[in-house]
Amino acid sequence: MSEAGSTLPAEKRLSLLVTVLAFALPVVFVLVPLAIFLGYSFFSVDQGTIVYGFSLGNYVRFFTDPVFLPVFWNTIVLCVSVAIVCILLAYPAAYFLTTLKGRWRYALLMLLLVPLLMSYVIKIYAIRSILGLNGFLNKALVALGILQEPSTLFVFNMNAILLTLTLLLIPFAILPIFLSLERIPQVLLRASDDLGASGLQTFLRITLPLSLPGVASAASFVFVLAIGDFLTPQMVGGISGFTFGRILYSQFGTAYNWPFGAALSVALAVVVIAAILIGERFGRNPGTSA
Amino acid sequence: MGLKKAFLRLATIGLSIGLMTSAALAANLRVLAWDGYADADWVKDFTAATGIGVDVVFIGSDDEIWAKIKGSEGQDFDVFAVNTAQLQRYIKADLVSPIDVTKLPNQKDVLPRFRDLTAVSGVTKDGKVYGIPFCFDSIGLIYDTDKVKPAPTSMSVLWDPAYKGKVLAYDNGEHNFSFTALTLGYKDPFNLDEEQMAAVKAKLVELKRNVLSFYTTADEAQQIYQNNDVALIWANYGQQQVKALQKIGAHVAYVNPSEGALAWLDNWVISKGVRDNAAAEKWIDFMLSKKVGGELSERTGFGNTVTETGSAGGNDKLVWLNNVEDPLKRSDMWNEVKATP
Repeated sequence: MSEAGSTLPAEKRLSLLVTVLAFALPVVFVLVPLAIFLGYSFFSVDQGTIVYGFSLGNYVRFFTDPVFLPVFWNTIVLCVSVAIVCILLAYPAAYFLTTLKGRWRYALLMLLLVPLLMSYVIKIYAIRSILGLNGFLNKALVALGILQEPSTLFVFNMNAILLTLTLLLIPFAILPIFLSLERIPQVLLRASDDLGASGLQTFLRITLPLSLPGVASAASFVFVLAIGDFLTPQMVGGISGFTFGRILYSQFGTAYNWPFGAALSVALAVVVIAAILIGERFGRNPGTSA
Repeated sequence: MGLKKAFLRLATIGLSIGLMTSAALAANLRVLAWDGYADADWVKDFTAATGIGVDVVFIGSDDEIWAKIKGSEGQDFDVFAVNTAQLQRYIKADLVSPIDVTKLPNQKDVLPRFRDLTAVSGVTKDGKVYGIPFCFDSIGLIYDTDKVKPAPTSMSVLWDPAYKGKVLAYDNGEHNFSFTALTLGYKDPFNLDEEQMAAVKAKLVELKRNVLSFYTTADEAQQIYQNNDVALIWANYGQQQVKALQKIGAHVAYVNPSEGALAWLDNWVISKGVRDNAAAEKWIDFMLSKKVGGELSERTGFGNTVTETGSAGGNDKLVWLNNVEDPLKRSDMWNEVKATP
């Protein structure tokens, strides 16, 4: 083996090195940490120190304690809603972008992605002040006569988390939808037109089905990002917007119960992986729904 | 030849300079402190007055102090600052030396509440003094003077339905259980039995229904105050928080509740590995001077132990923070409170 190695030309050795690195990086930085996480979830904590012995206690607690499952379920419902709202808003925006010609299309796309360059925390702060009782939204609604007086409906509850996450994550929905819309060959649309289909028919029977893979990956992106977030619920959720991310966060911060936190993370990871698999399944088979 | 000689001479000079500086360093007092506890001008004044050089290392967290002191078994520093809740841990691990209070003339002139150190929970053990109180702040109540009338005297106002949705509380299970225990009249808010825990939890669920949101940083509370209708804030950041709010024009005032306000207290302690005990005592005594105390409060906004400040009136009841019976349990129960619909 070593003999063969030494006779390899330098180029081949280099490519071997690159291959090894290509496999080693994800193993070291993704698989190993995940495995450690999984391992930790079977440990327990006694008097503030971690006991390194196998126990299913964390999982038993997750499924039996009346606190965790309802919060878990509510959080999933919330994040699915965020994904749906994001798609409903992002689709028309992405569709509009594809109708633009030439450089306008990309200039506008870049503009829509600019918020991603800003600090996440600053955006949450900004959105929270917009949603507040004396915030811009309330002032605008009162000025327009839609509301009699400022409402507390928009901040420190589940609505606030939904609104804030939607605003924060919408660029992640626009991009995949835009890409899938842009990839639809123009000839198909023209053929449909030639054969006498109306604009609506063309959209419903050609554009929409062909863009569904983009919609699916956008939905899974948004869902995964939303469910992993603990900062937004912490900052705008108030007393009724208690989400799974906040429970998880507290296990690592104040509680110092890493094993239980790891077990909760595993539960979250299962949902995230399922969401990604579903997104990918629809993303890969554009033909099935058409 | 000449070159070799010159080189040798250079080496000798270098060596002697090296020895001189290490000798100078050896004589310096090694201080480990929070930022703001050993300002450059005080250090300069101290050196001018006593002839003792000082090397200061600043730390940013309780864990960092523990790591630095425990890591060297107390050999790397002579004096350091630590809070009452943490101090017992250092005493137990034999990392600190008892302090002879008679060597600290300024200790006689401190505020009444700090004069009898046996009455300050956490700084003594078995009759020996281990910590000299230096800096503190209470966790009181900030109220909007336009909205809250008459001025509140107890934390129980946080439960008043008149202020429903106008209360800002702090997102921390440990502190919330402690202050609610005080509000319920329990003697030792840091050691609650099962029954008391359950009662406090039920009370916190009630509190939650009166609260607008739970904040974590002072900035955050301020921003929420500016954009919403807030009347009462449980002031985890005490005086700093009040002053920041007053600066932006808010009509707010601060009160320590009559049932007792939780308060943190930082102390100077002498490490086990102290090289020159007399120098360490001089440092602590210097820190207890009226000038340093006054400037400390002026610069940081915290209370000092020698002059009166806004942190606490002379008759205010303060309850020095201590380690709680089971932090994990409090954290879990706090999550249960938050998850209760």
